[in-house]
Amino acid sequence: MAPVFTGISVALLLTCVTAGAAGQTPPSPQPAAPSPSTGLSGYMDFHFNKPQFADGVLDFHRFVLLVTHRFSDRLRFVGELELEHAFVEGLEKAGELELEQAYLDFLVTRAFNIRAGMILAPVGIINERHEPPVFYGVERPLVDTVIIPTTWFDAGAGVHGEVGRGLRYRAYLMAPLNAAEFSAEEGIRGGRQKGSEANAGRVAVTGRVEYVGTPGLTAGLSFWSGRSGFEFRPAFDVPVRLIETDMRYARDRLELRGQFAQVTIDNADRLNDLGLLRTGVSPNVARVLRGFYLEGGYRILTGSRVGELGVFTRYENVDTQFRMPAGHVPLKKFDRDAWVMGFTLWPDPDVAIKFDYTILRNRSPFTAPNVLNAGLGWWF
Amino acid sequence: MRPFFLLVIAGWVAVALASQLSATAPGGQTSARVVNVSAERFSFTPSEIRTKAGEPIEIRLRSEDTDHGFRILDTDVDVRIPKRGKGTVTATFRPAREGRYTFECSHVCGAGHGFMRGTIVVTK
Repeated sequence: MAPVFTGISVALLLTCVTAGAAGQTPPSPQPAAPSPSTGLSGYMDFHFNKPQFADGVLDFHRFVLLVTHRFSDRLRFVGELELEHAFVEGLEKAGELELEQAYLDFLVTRAFNIRAGMILAPVGIINERHEPPVFYGVERPLVDTVIIPTTWFDAGAGVHGEVGRGLRYRAYLMAPLNAAEFSAEEGIRGGRQKGSEANAGRVAVTGRVEYVGTPGLTAGLSFWSGRSGFEFRPAFDVPVRLIETDMRYARDRLELRGQFAQVTIDNADRLNDLGLLRTGVSPNVARVLRGFYLEGGYRILTGSRVGELGVFTRYENVDTQFRMPAGHVPLKKFDRDAWVMGFTLWPDPDVAIKFDYTILRNRSPFTAPNVLNAGLGWWF
Repeated sequence: MRPFFLLVIAGWVAVALASQLSATAPGGQTSARVVNVSAERFSFTPSEIRTKAGEPIEIRLRSEDTDHGFRILDTDVDVRIPKRGKGTVTATFRPAREGRYTFECSHVCGAGHGFMRGTIVVTK
């Protein structure tokens, strides 16, 4: 991959040199360029979760600050620092402090720009668009938790742009996943290296093509591919591929969403065998994981003094044991369905008060508890 | 009654003149073409606007969620788009010459704020 990184370095240097000149035919006369500026914004997510047969839990799930700086019209910085679960202490399992984004954007033309730093994987609906007021439901969809491991970020670099009437693309090289952290329940989620001294022996490739040219419609196709077995090489490697497609349509009061994602893990049998040897317990990682959801929402109240009120229903199906390697038996409790029903009240377009009830089912003899959720989310 | 009729006629003339003036840009140019643009995290629709040099366009901007900004680089056009349900804002732009003018969201609106860009393509 060294030639690839060399290519990126050269491209970045060229961009720095040409960024001030390329891009558009400027009008004449030109007003003075805006001075550099720094902005602060963020979002918060406060939850109450009450599983059936258990006590409720209050959780300040996310406290996120976004810092942006414009060096010039061609050079921008975006940083996103997130504190999860309100509290971080030593080595105990508690909250997480994460640098989810910290990148420089070299804006060359509408069709071609370069981004480098800590970046979001351009996969799915939620990973790049996750401010609480913009999605129904207190918690993110299961598909966006155990199939697509949102928030999915890592160190990397790549290009992005838009051509014609709303056809966009992103293509990045990123640090790969760590297959040693894959699990039966959460799939590839534990494997995110999060840009923390991330192994980059063989970088991953990810990208997305997205159409946004029709009012209210967004349709996307994403992929991620990377060799993730750096802890096991040279004995064997663990190539991982993810393919995803999604569609979102919003018009006036109506909003519809659908998403499908599938992950393929090669050499999952050897991964499980080695896990058994190392710890005495097989991680029972599947060779194929799959999930999808369909959601419909409708704003029954708009233009009122109390704001807007929307109701929604979502059906989800996720199976992190969808296809097992030969000789391994799927754990049926991880073949899950969920019906999520509820409502969101927006007293302001940037503030969301959410309630929902989640009916969870799985294919094992043991029933999963249903969950009552309430949430307060805001963006500023 | 004559003064009354004169007054009515004068009134009609005034209305006709006013409507003519309102449809005409300063300098006797033709009226501005209206382009409706919606903004939402993280796109403008349409993101490509085509016009001709010297012809003014009136860009009416509406947000589907939070407040956004609309700035045309290298020009004085920079307006704040109010939040969903809070109305529209209009930006008038008359490109002096042909070229490609980039516009972008000038108010941070979320993780994908940097993707909110578009182009005004100006031909002869």
